[in-house]
Amino acid sequence: MDIIGQFPLFYFPEYGSAWMMGVTGTIHILASHTSVGAAMLFAFLAYKAYKENRSDLYPYMKKYGMFLLIFSYVIGSITGPGIWYTATAASPRGISALIHNFVWVWATEWVFFVYEVIGVFVLVYFIDKIDKKTHLKLTFSFALASVGTLALIIGIISFMMWPGTQSYYVTGSASDAFFGTNTFPHMFLRIGFMIMLSGVIGLLISSAMKKDNLELSQELTKKMGYISMLGGFLVIFFFMWYMGTLPDNAHAVFNVTKAEVIQNRILITVVFSLYFLVAILKPQFISTPLAGVMIFVILIGGIWPGEKLRESMRKPYVAGQYIYSNQIISRDVPGKNIKSELPIIAQKGLLQVNPFVPENLKIITEENKLEAGELLTKMSCSNCHSLENTGKYRPLKDRLMGMDKEGIKAILYAIGNGGMPYMPTLLLPEHEYDAMAEYIASLKY
Amino acid sequence: MDASILLALRDPAGVPFYPVVFQALYVLTWALHAAFVLLALGAMGLSIFGTFSQKSNSHWKLLTPHLIQTGKISISILIVLGVAPLLFTQVIYDPNWYVANTLSGMWVFIFIYTLVVAYIMYYWYYYANKKHEGGGKLIGIISFALLVFSGLLMHNFAVTSIMPNEWMNMYAPNGVVDNSGWTFNMNIIRLAFMVSLAIPVVGIFLQNYSRFLSTKEDFSPEFIQYTASLGTKMGVIGLIISALCFVAWMLQIDYLLNPLSLAIIVSVVVLLLMVVKNSNSYITTIVLVVVALLISAMRELIRFDIMANLGYSIYEYPVNLEIPSLVMFLLTFLVLGGVGVAWLLTMAWKVGKNQGFFDGSKDVAVTRLGNYTLAIMVVWMVIYFGWGMTILFANIL
Repeated sequence: MDIIGQFPLFYFPEYGSAWMMGVTGTIHILASHTSVGAAMLFAFLAYKAYKENRSDLYPYMKKYGMFLLIFSYVIGSITGPGIWYTATAASPRGISALIHNFVWVWATEWVFFVYEVIGVFVLVYFIDKIDKKTHLKLTFSFALASVGTLALIIGIISFMMWPGTQSYYVTGSASDAFFGTNTFPHMFLRIGFMIMLSGVIGLLISSAMKKDNLELSQELTKKMGYISMLGGFLVIFFFMWYMGTLPDNAHAVFNVTKAEVIQNRILITVVFSLYFLVAILKPQFISTPLAGVMIFVILIGGIWPGEKLRESMRKPYVAGQYIYSNQIISRDVPGKNIKSELPIIAQKGLLQVNPFVPENLKIITEENKLEAGELLTKMSCSNCHSLENTGKYRPLKDRLMGMDKEGIKAILYAIGNGGMPYMPTLLLPEHEYDAMAEYIASLKY
Repeated sequence: MDASILLALRDPAGVPFYPVVFQALYVLTWALHAAFVLLALGAMGLSIFGTFSQKSNSHWKLLTPHLIQTGKISISILIVLGVAPLLFTQVIYDPNWYVANTLSGMWVFIFIYTLVVAYIMYYWYYYANKKHEGGGKLIGIISFALLVFSGLLMHNFAVTSIMPNEWMNMYAPNGVVDNSGWTFNMNIIRLAFMVSLAIPVVGIFLQNYSRFLSTKEDFSPEFIQYTASLGTKMGVIGLIISALCFVAWMLQIDYLLNPLSLAIIVSVVVLLLMVVKNSNSYITTIVLVVVALLISAMRELIRFDIMANLGYSIYEYPVNLEIPSLVMFLLTFLVLGGVGVAWLLTMAWKVGKNQGFFDGSKDVAVTRLGNYTLAIMVVWMVIYFGWGMTILFANIL
């Protein structure tokens, strides 16, 4: 029996299922990056407090720590596994590929995660119950553990983009997959962002301390301004390096929206540079509501478009440049005995090889053509495009507006023959293209 | 479901080590995760009860905030411990897990955000109760209900994942494909058994709590006696309820006379006697962990049998040995995890035992463990970058 390992398809109307991962991912990035950045900031403050015998810094650290505990470790620790969950529902084979390549890396990250979660409680609750030297060691170890979690996850998410060389495909080794060409630039790019975020969150806390201790509040606001500025500079610096390590298909996608992306980045850079300058020069102007709004701005204006871009640039792949977003294995990986599924699909068609296609749709007839076409379109396209006329997420409508069946079919053939580098070269038999085109045409975009 | 389909659903990359190891790790880590799920539910449930007596009863005045705090920390720990079995199940039972998740895609999304809201509300409950004695009742109840609902959703994923013969009917009932992700299945008896375990777990926790505080001068002997006796009552009643639910579950699936099932019944009886006697609750806790491991093994046996009967054996999963990252995990787990967590827990224990302030710099064990932890972490980072640079140089030059 010729079947491939396709799972049932979950489709969220109007949006598709991938956006669920995007939403969870964006929230997680804000929380997790804040937590790693804050861990480094915490170590810096604890060192300063210990060296300069500044007891007044401890209440700030306690407040920051409580915020961190609730914000990062409640939201971050749930949305972290939450990304896996939603990714599992949206891209089961993509997540499976990562798990089966990197299970031990993930297990190692888990060790750091355990240390962090116990550590954050110890760090915050014992701040005035243990001596300063021991507490300082705790903050150092906490910062190292937090960076450790980044060091481990970064290779996995970089592999999602691509391994960077051919070695992984030959050896199948997790090391070759993990330490790809964009792993380190990606890591330092994120470290910069984490430092910046720790300052952005720090401004919220320092501005809230005005009533209790104006002088300390202003001193810390200034410090957070400098820290954020440094982080922001690192982000821009390493972004250049990172972009240079991406594959051609990523640049092809990037070029489509290049002008818009650059405009957005310049705007964000200017707004936040001004914000940090105000924090440094006029700390009294930084109020808690303003600091709160700026966190929201960075979430909506910085992280969301940034992650959307990173996800788009991976297209047509979801992991390691061997699995397409529509869950089909697109190339051989001899090191893992993985075979491309494209030839069997081209020969037999998706309906025949997918084990979850019901018997009544395995063979296309005049009666079931639209139904089969709908299922084929969902299986092939819905991971990246919403199908409805009112679809919100990269809607097919915007791409196929006003086209008739033959026009749509011509586009499907062009894609299947590799005419667009960011679309999967998924060649289907004529009768399946025909059913898809008929279904899409029936939607009258 | 046909064996050939189940086998085709396995990841073509194979597993990076022998499947039995992942199976053992799954059983172990699920048991630890479940222990904190039960402690969180038990502590939280009892704390809500406590909020109603907190103002008038001096024992509950003291106990309620401690239970709230216990629930709060337990939720964090259950999340972090839950990641491990989630990882291992996907390695060897990926067909089951991914089908369950895609069929219940909407519930997956709802699960994540229910948990986020529930935990944030739990902090709200914590602060409300800290501010006013007896405060935060309604918030606490809502948070508790949401956490139980999250547990129910997780139960759905687990139950759906072991119903391979029904998957096609769930996905395409009468041949009509349903992509909505609203599949929901439950087994009431199995769920009742799992949830009921929260009662004896919090009972044994109270015995430990009482024992730990008995050496501290700032807690009255009456309070120590009260919490120990409450723990015993809850432990005994809870274990009887759980045992009855367990027998009902085993009868339902016809596993009552299975040796593992019998071992669980015997160990529960032993646990019951130890709880009644309460001579050393720390040892009782070790037996509780053994029972948790046996229950975890029982769950795994049920799943293994269902899949083996359909022709899917995890032991036949193709193996593509992956040694370097395994070595990294083992060394990190044993050396860094062992020393680091020992440091944190030793410190927590000593802070708890001291009145007010603990000077760790004068404690040899705490100082050494702290220094070792830091040194190990620095060495870990050096190896990480060294390893990465070696691989990169080899691959790009």
